[in-house]
Formats: sequence, C-alpha cells, structure tokens
Amino acid sequence: MFKAIVSASTLRDALDSVSVLVEECKIRLNEDELAIRAVDPANVGMVDLSLEAAAFESYEADGGVIGVNLSRLEDIAGMANSGDLIQLELNEETRKLHIQIEGLSYTLALIDPDSIRQEPDIPDLDLPAEIVLEGNQMDRGIKAADMVSDHIRLRVDEEAEAFYIEAEGDTDDVDLKLTREDLIDFTSGPADSLFSLDYLKDMNKAIPSDAEVTIELGAEFPVKLHYEFGEGMGHVTYMLAPRIQSD
Amino acid sequence: MGNADLRDLAALSDVSFDELGGSVVAVDAHNWLYRYLTTTVKWTSDAKYTTSGGDEVANLVGLVQGLPKFFEHDLTPVFVFDGGVTELKDAEVEARREQKEKAQERLEEARERGDAVEAARLEARTQRLTAVIHETTRDFLDLLDVPYIEAPAEGEAQASYMARRGDADYVGSEDYDTLLFGAPFTLRQLTSKGDPELMDLDATLAKHDISYEQLVDIAILVGTDFNPGIKGIGPKTALKAVKEHGDLWGVLDARDLHIDHADRIRDLFLDPPVTDDYDVDLDIDPDLEAARSYVVDEWEVDADEVARGFERIEESLVQTGLDRWT
Repeated sequence: MFKAIVSASTLRDALDSVSVLVEECKIRLNEDELAIRAVDPANVGMVDLSLEAAAFESYEADGGVIGVNLSRLEDIAGMANSGDLIQLELNEETRKLHIQIEGLSYTLALIDPDSIRQEPDIPDLDLPAEIVLEGNQMDRGIKAADMVSDHIRLRVDEEAEAFYIEAEGDTDDVDLKLTREDLIDFTSGPADSLFSLDYLKDMNKAIPSDAEVTIELGAEFPVKLHYEFGEGMGHVTYMLAPRIQSD
Repeated sequence: MGNADLRDLAALSDVSFDELGGSVVAVDAHNWLYRYLTTTVKWTSDAKYTTSGGDEVANLVGLVQGLPKFFEHDLTPVFVFDGGVTELKDAEVEARREQKEKAQERLEEARERGDAVEAARLEARTQRLTAVIHETTRDFLDLLDVPYIEAPAEGEAQASYMARRGDADYVGSEDYDTLLFGAPFTLRQLTSKGDPELMDLDATLAKHDISYEQLVDIAILVGTDFNPGIKGIGPKTALKAVKEHGDLWGVLDARDLHIDHADRIRDLFLDPPVTDDYDVDLDIDPDLEAARSYVVDEWEVDADEVARGFERIEESLVQTGLDRWT
C-alpha cells in the first residue's frame, strides 16, 4: 500500500538527485520515509536518499518496494508547476503508479524491482576532514575547474586552515581557496583527493544552490557530499570514488 | 590449440561483464596474445609493427588494445605464461611449426602474385611468439604493474590450478582444454566484442552425468594437444563408450584399441606440473608514461596506433570504484 501527496518541487529535487547516476532505481516505501539507494553502472558514484514522511502533505506506506524509470517519472513531475501538489497512489494489482497533478491523471507502468541492479552496500568511510559550505560556493569552484580540466582536486591545507578546489589543465590551472572564515563550518584534517569532474558536475547540478553542502574528505578516499532538501526533511548523501593521483 | 570437439560437451552460457565485476581472471597468456596477433592485427601489414631493427612487436599493440577490456569491466587479469613445453607435446609443436613454415612459403608466393587477401590470411598464421615478443610482453606488463606468473609447463594447467585453489575466480582462455585441467569456470571470448561465454565444469559433468576423470578419458579418445585421438571416435561416441565401460581403459579393452602413452597423457591433465610458488599483487599501480614511451619510443610503434588504447587504460585504471571501500 502506498498513497502520498507531495509538492512538485520536493519530488523533483528527490528524483533529480538520483537520475544523475542511474536510469532506473528501486524506491523503498517504508512506513516512516521513502528511501532510494543506487550506484552508477561503473561503481563510481553512489546516492543514498531519504525523504521523511513529514516532507509529504500526506503519506501512507507499508514497506513495499517499487522499481521506476526515473526519466519517465521526472517527465511527469515536470508537468507540474513548482507550487502544485502531486498525488501518488500504487495499484498493487496492476503494479502501476497512478499520478495526479491538477486534473492531469497519468498511469505509470512500474519496473520489476528484481530486474534492477542490486542496491549497493554503503562504503565504510572514516573521513578526517569536514567542510560545510554554500551550494553556490561549490558550484563556482566546479564551474571554474571545468574550464581547464576533466578532473578536480579537493584538498585541505591544515596549516593555512583552508579548503581548496583545484584543477590542473594541459595549459591552464585554477584554484579556489576557501578559508575558515569563508566556510559555514570547518573540521581540518589530512585530506587530498582527485575526482572525475563528469560525476561531480552531475551531482552538483542536483544540489540546490541555496543548500548547505557538507563535504567529508580524506586522502585518496571517496568523498561524501551531504545536503538537505524539502525543508530539511529530505536527505541526500553522494559518495564518489577518487581517481588515483599520479605523482 | 586444444580440441574444439569438446565444445559439443561443454556447458556454456553467456555472461554479462556486470556480473563479473571485481573478479580475478587467470589468463592463459599465450592463448590470449595469440588471439591478438592473429585476429586484431590480421589485416594490416607487418611492416607497421616491425622496428627498424626488424623485430616484430605486434604483441605490444595487442596488449594496448586488449588490456582495457579487463580494466573497464573491473576485472583483474593475472597472465600465466607457458613454461617449458611438455615433452609429449613436442609432436604437436613440431607439426604446428611445419604448418607455419608451409604457410610462410605460400605467403611468399601469394605476395609475388599480388594476392593481398590471401597474403593477409597467411600472415596471420605465420605469426609466432618470438623471443622479443616474450620479453617485450613481460616488460610492458611490468610497467603497467599487471601481475603475471611463469608456469612450470602448460599455462592453462597452471591457470586452472589457480582457479581451483581460489586464487582466481575464472580462467581466461579460448581453449576448451581448461575443462580437462579442472578449471571450475572458464571465460571465453575475452578478446572478442560483446559479452564473454562462461564454461562451467561442474555443469558440464552434471549435464552428461560423468565424473571429471571420465571427461578427461573422453577427451583422450577424441584427441587432445598431446595425442591425435582415435579415428572415427567423436565426442558423442566417446561419451557413450566411457559411460558404458567406466573409463578409458575399459573402452580401450572393449574395443581392442591402443593409445600411446595413454597413462601419461591422463596424468598430464589430472596431475599436471603446476606450482604453488607464486605471489600475485592484485593492486595495479601502473606507470603509464613509461609504458607509453616503451611502446612508442623504444619499440617504434606508431603513436596514433596505440593512442586510443592508452587513453582507455588510463581512464579505467585511474578511476577507482566504490566497491574498494565496501
């Protein structure tokens, strides 16, 4: 059983954060939250999302699992204005999801969850540095890096008490320095890792620019990016595996 | 190499690379390299892969083109090189050498006639693993930090042994003989486009309701790398006969047949010379610049010829997967 009403913008934020990595995913309709966990086919980027029942106008679920084609569902959600409410109801018999938006009614065929790639185990990471910044600060660093290279270095300079976003191209370099004063919060620690910009750009696209982003970082470790949406009741954690640094 | 008749008996299924991610594949190195020398490089002139000193190094192109397939699918190859050739195999090696010499003669004739297609076909068959190919292959694998080991004798036997011990998840070979060496799972078509084919020993035995020893006996009747087999006995007849008479000796007795060195051949499959003395570091830490310079500067391979392959190797090796941390 699943029946819920949610604002279009909250649903879209949730779907966008997952669709940057995978085409299809399983959605867990738990009693107290809706949860999605997925990893891209190359095993490089992972998303772990939960949307609390309280983020919905109304929410009733009993722990079922459905499989969805994300771009389909995004297209449907795209038919709504951001203030609109979207009604979702699962028909257990036909295994179809009924979606209603302001008089528009859509029946979405679901995918057999067993045919979707297994949900990944969450990596066990103990990351020494934590940087909290505004989404638009990170956006700025990523945009600049993208001008010169296809990968990006995130590092902490413990002495300078600063977080650096850097990129080294064939000819040009960029670096964005953010000191403790520039950041919302900062836990210094040994951290220096290189990442593919292709992935980070996509993840960044899904992060609302007014969101607070928490970056957990280590030395040649995956990075964790955490942010909230849906008035703090939606939680997304991205994990991105590093590239090996050549010296 | 090996006997393709075994295909009729083998339990084969398609498998997707997705399911294989994270596994270790003990690759029969000669078999693998040979595929690249004969297929990938087939339609181009050998001049392209010959240094000014006259050494053929098409193997380096094969390596650069073939290795990305492993890395991109998160497979770790361990290359297993043949050691000294088993004595019984000498006849086969000799026969193969003779065939090649014949092909070489015909190749020269074809070239004189200006028959390019025939010449290209024959050129493929005259490819051999020279001392330079042996040396440069190992040097290149060293630079990329790809593990390899030297088998005491047959590479496929050693690779199968490593898979049996659990040091590899699969054997990589086109050869059906890995069944006879007891490899639990063999991946075929690792050098081809598309998904590989999985050959399953237990499923093969179950399919015919025979023991592993009986499978070896069937193969000996049909013919292996070590013996020509008995004329008129194909896999189906051999299967029936071994099931009826229990084993190779039973069949030979009942049909009043003889196979030279049958007991030694049997032992070569059931108890081949293999070694426990290997230490394989699966953590690949390549020196790509040195590898590229080795191929392009030292061995004079056209940089354009290997550019895409190196790009693929770089992309697939420098990006780690999250499963490393789970």
